[in-house]
Amino acid sequence: MALATPTGSTRPLPLLVKVLGLGTAVGVAAALTPTLLLQDQWFFLVGLWVIVALLVATYATGRALPAKYLLPGTLLLTLFVVVPIVMTVQTSFTNYGDGTRTSKEETVAQIVGSSVRQTPDAPRYNLTVGTTGSTTDGPFTFFLVDPETEAAFAGTPEGLEELDPDAVTLEGGFVRAADGYEILTGVQLNDAGPALQDFTVPTDDGTAIRQLGISQAFEGTTTLQYDEAADTITDTETGTVYTVQQQGDREYFVSPDGERVSDQSWTANVGFRNYVEILTDSRISSDFLRIFAWTVAFATLSVVTTFGLGLLLAVTLNDARLRGQKVYRALLIMPYAIPGFISLLLWASFYNRDFGLINDVTGLDVNWLGDATMAKVAVVITNLWMGFPYMFLVCTGALQAIPGDLQEAARLDGASGWDGFRRITFPLLLVTVAPLLVATFAFNFNNYNAIALLTEGGPYSPDNPTAGGTDILISYTIRLAFGAGGAQIGFASAVSVLLFVITGVIAALQFRATRALEDVN
Amino acid sequence: MRIARTLVPAVLAVALTACGGGGGSSTSSADTTPSEPTESSTEEAVPTRGDADLVIWTDALKIDAVKTVADTFAEQNGISVEVQAVSSDLQTNFVTANTAGNGPDVVVGAHDWIGNLVANGAIEPLQLTPDQLSGYSEKAVQATTYEGQLYGVPYGIEALALYRNTEVVPEEPANLTEAIDAGKQAVQAGEVESALNLPVGENGDAYHMQPVLTSMGGYLFAYDEASGYDASDLGVGEPGSVEAARKVAQLAKERVLRTSISGDNSIALFTEGKAAFLISGPWALGDIKASGIDYAIQPIPGFAGEEPAEPFMGAQAFMVASGAENAAFAQEFVTVGVNNEEAMQALYEGATLPPAMTSVQDGLQDEDIALFAEAANQAAPMPALPEMAAVWEPLGKAYAAIVGGANPEKTMRDAGRTIESAIQGG
Amino acid sequence: MSTPTSYPQDLAPEESVDEPDTTGGAGRTTGPPPRGLKGRRWWSEVGWRHVVGVVACLWALFPVAYIVSAAFNPLGTVVSTSLIPRSFSLGNFEELFSSPSVPFGRWALNTLVVCTAVVLVQILFSAFAAYAFSRFRFRGRRGGLLALLLIQMFPQFLAAVALFTLFTDFGEVVPAIGLNTLAGYVLVLSGGALGQVWLIKGFFDSVPRSLDEAAMMDGASHVQTFFRIILPLVRPILAVSGLLVFVATIAEFLLASIFLTETSQKTLATGLYGLIDGDRSNNLGVFAAGALLTAIPVILLFLFLQRYIVGGITAGGVKE
Repeated sequence: MALATPTGSTRPLPLLVKVLGLGTAVGVAAALTPTLLLQDQWFFLVGLWVIVALLVATYATGRALPAKYLLPGTLLLTLFVVVPIVMTVQTSFTNYGDGTRTSKEETVAQIVGSSVRQTPDAPRYNLTVGTTGSTTDGPFTFFLVDPETEAAFAGTPEGLEELDPDAVTLEGGFVRAADGYEILTGVQLNDAGPALQDFTVPTDDGTAIRQLGISQAFEGTTTLQYDEAADTITDTETGTVYTVQQQGDREYFVSPDGERVSDQSWTANVGFRNYVEILTDSRISSDFLRIFAWTVAFATLSVVTTFGLGLLLAVTLNDARLRGQKVYRALLIMPYAIPGFISLLLWASFYNRDFGLINDVTGLDVNWLGDATMAKVAVVITNLWMGFPYMFLVCTGALQAIPGDLQEAARLDGASGWDGFRRITFPLLLVTVAPLLVATFAFNFNNYNAIALLTEGGPYSPDNPTAGGTDILISYTIRLAFGAGGAQIGFASAVSVLLFVITGVIAALQFRATRALEDVN
Repeated sequence: MRIARTLVPAVLAVALTACGGGGGSSTSSADTTPSEPTESSTEEAVPTRGDADLVIWTDALKIDAVKTVADTFAEQNGISVEVQAVSSDLQTNFVTANTAGNGPDVVVGAHDWIGNLVANGAIEPLQLTPDQLSGYSEKAVQATTYEGQLYGVPYGIEALALYRNTEVVPEEPANLTEAIDAGKQAVQAGEVESALNLPVGENGDAYHMQPVLTSMGGYLFAYDEASGYDASDLGVGEPGSVEAARKVAQLAKERVLRTSISGDNSIALFTEGKAAFLISGPWALGDIKASGIDYAIQPIPGFAGEEPAEPFMGAQAFMVASGAENAAFAQEFVTVGVNNEEAMQALYEGATLPPAMTSVQDGLQDEDIALFAEAANQAAPMPALPEMAAVWEPLGKAYAAIVGGANPEKTMRDAGRTIESAIQGG
Repeated sequence: MSTPTSYPQDLAPEESVDEPDTTGGAGRTTGPPPRGLKGRRWWSEVGWRHVVGVVACLWALFPVAYIVSAAFNPLGTVVSTSLIPRSFSLGNFEELFSSPSVPFGRWALNTLVVCTAVVLVQILFSAFAAYAFSRFRFRGRRGGLLALLLIQMFPQFLAAVALFTLFTDFGEVVPAIGLNTLAGYVLVLSGGALGQVWLIKGFFDSVPRSLDEAAMMDGASHVQTFFRIILPLVRPILAVSGLLVFVATIAEFLLASIFLTETSQKTLATGLYGLIDGDRSNNLGVFAAGALLTAIPVILLFLFLQRYIVGGITAGGVKE
């Protein structure tokens, strides 16, 4: 700890910055606390004060010098990357996805609520709403006008009552004023939504009148009823009773005949089921080795080709005597400046067998995307084009860190240009870029876009529409998760967690092999 | 390392489009080129989600048309309306946002989303009187009705039709076989490069292949006027579909069907005069008109001596979100604000989709649109079943494989088995 | 001071009067040999670099040429576009600036705001952390470095749903950083605040430690040492990583399309994607025009940063 010198906190300016910064943090936290308390956001409240405490502990004291530099970035990383990862891990233990996005209570409420059917011949009333109390909480009264007969009614939860036309002011078929009532405007009516949600006016024949928008009311009846004690849904028209039954990884309300009352299920914990499914799915196990091998090959080729080309160009152009050096460099990063998704769509059209640029210009008739081998070549070529400017930039930057006199010295020692590069420049450069190479490998291992936008995993063999010729693990498993049966986000989360682990292990092994961590000191 | 961010972009777009509703919904939502700016879309007041009294989500292509109607509604009711275009996958983003309690009040989308949206509890049923419903074309109402309930107010309908380059083929063909023969002759004469542009692509396109399937006696799910589609009766792998597979193989051998013709280039090739025929929907009209090519449109006929071709019909509809913050205005807008002739006329003019309301259909001046309305009224509504998610991809890939030279019978039966097991498992 | 070099005088570049045509037939030197370097020596040391450079540029640029051609093509379709433009029209650009539902200028402004903020946060915080990892020895240092790499390997698009939920809740407490705000969007992108640590740290490691020790001896605090001595020395890599972050941010799309649904809050990437969403082949022209305009700031930024990138560490060290 050579640098354990006193910190700058005794100087006036840094002290001021420190006090202001920490003061702001504490102030903001204090200002937000009442809101958070009001909204019962305990998770946020605790998180907020933990952050403030960390900030104070780090910057108000003279200790833990490294933490002062690490904290800001680490906090952001934790909040917006680590927390979502943790949430994803949680999701991987559920069946969350299409059809199971709601809780059971919401599901039941929606199924029952959606079963309202209007009475065929009942009138559609013109509606205004009056209140004798507040416009947000009521008590409310529906003023209903039958547009055919112009008869006016007052509707309350007690029932419907015909009004004397003289007691209210009718205008354009609507009750616009009534003694003792305040008539709600459209905006007020909309705002009163939550209070009016369950407001119905029962009628004689067992149906009820409900609000529809802000100007109409209709007569209808709820055909489904939920019995909370028995946990069943009953169809009041047919008498069918639907009970909760497990089907696959989710539960439904199902009739004795095996018919679901709705395709809507609800979120449930399924433990390790998603993971077990991935590991035991016969489709996955039969294709896994082939796809895994190509994934590794694809990632490796992507790193090797982009780094090779990027380095070659960086070294070639890193000569101050070269005229137009800047122009070359600016032109070479063009592929990087075009948004990735358009590049991929563009290249996909280049490979078109009959109408694509590549066959057109070269006069070839290569079935680029229809042949598994050529499609792999196409994927690598495209990825090379998209990725080399990154390596070019990184290498160009890293080359600047290698003092020119080192190379000059080697040259004076009689080493040839190539020797000097191999013995001095390259090893030094590798120190900086090796970790990035590992990261690039990991990135390409999961480079979903490069596959999905270019080949969609294809070409597919006729007997296997799930595993294509250029599929990498992520494109393949994501298709399983989002393909048949809608989006299975729980399953997809489990997939990404597993891929995360696989990539991490490979990366750690590569670190060991390249000794990247050991070398950097 | 941050290239990770550069390339992540379109990931979800694709991942989730693939999941959303497969080829069907994405194809059917591609209807027009960016529409002309409409006069009433004035400078927006930039209210945020919380401020506007009504928030509507649509895709970028229809935003101007929707804005026109929304602005009228806002004016009539003295409220503020915000119409937002959601890029990438609208359906998935809508479900996500709605579940999180941050979604719109109204969403504009294709009817084949309804099954999935209902299974997610994302939309509310609508109450229109039988009288009001009778104002819409029957097929449009069938399409937006799911499990006996109406979930959307339809404003546009679309179906595939057959475009013909009249310079190359002056005579209207009586059936698809004649059309293909005329196209092949034109190719041999060197007038065009492609006889019939029916998009296949490397991974197939089950939506565009539907007329071929149905003309050869195939079907996806059994359909009954009264009860709708039956998810337990899958037609893929059945004799009709195998017949269709043989036809596809034969057409591929004759180089009529090609994997190099896809949704990305089929329209453009036709507008360039490089194809004799094109199978596409009303969304291609704008480009074809702009290109100045001589063309004619007819409903897709069947093959000679076979059944009539029945492409899918899609309806574009307004739906009320279950998580709507302004539920009353949302219901009012959809059941009153949109549900009238003036609004439907405005939507038609803004989106140039064949209108779903019959009175607007009757007043159509544009013959092409009238023809598409007719084609849509003859077509079968695309199934809105969530099970369709399991159909699009395997079936499309089977078509592509057959075009690529695979054994038609085996490939089609395999596809049937794959879909069957996916439906069972899901 | 565009390129302070440490090369011996006799190898300085200014002398080479005649150089091969960099745009066309590189490979022949027809004029008189350059004064500084003659004939074969020029060839073996500099000339071949032009050949490599030109070939590389052709490889890098032919798809870009196609985009340019599409942008100026009035038909703007995949099929009618070729490498060499056959017709010329500014219609696609006009459409970008005239349609009220495509407020291109506003999107560009939003993008600029977002990119600037994200670049600043990421570079500053990464440099901080890189400094700590490079100069201090503390418990958990290696673990931290490794964890940093591993965490960023998470296939992030699956966390999108989680992030959406998180920011929905944020927005309820503090509307200013909720969904549909640029601030909230910047915040979520700041999750990558430590994205450049490894790159910058590698560079720090190559800065002789004696430099900062000397400064400390002179009584500078570690903060002063960092800002006044170290940071200026590593300008090249700051420029490189700044550019990397800028490019990554300008093309960011996934989170933007979920976070920014309001037309006026969109960035270029998500706004433009809306244009071809569902109709790839026919809006290609407008989209290509937008893509080109998006690429311009990247190129400009690169041109601006080049002098720092090429500045070189030794030169910088000598200068300061």
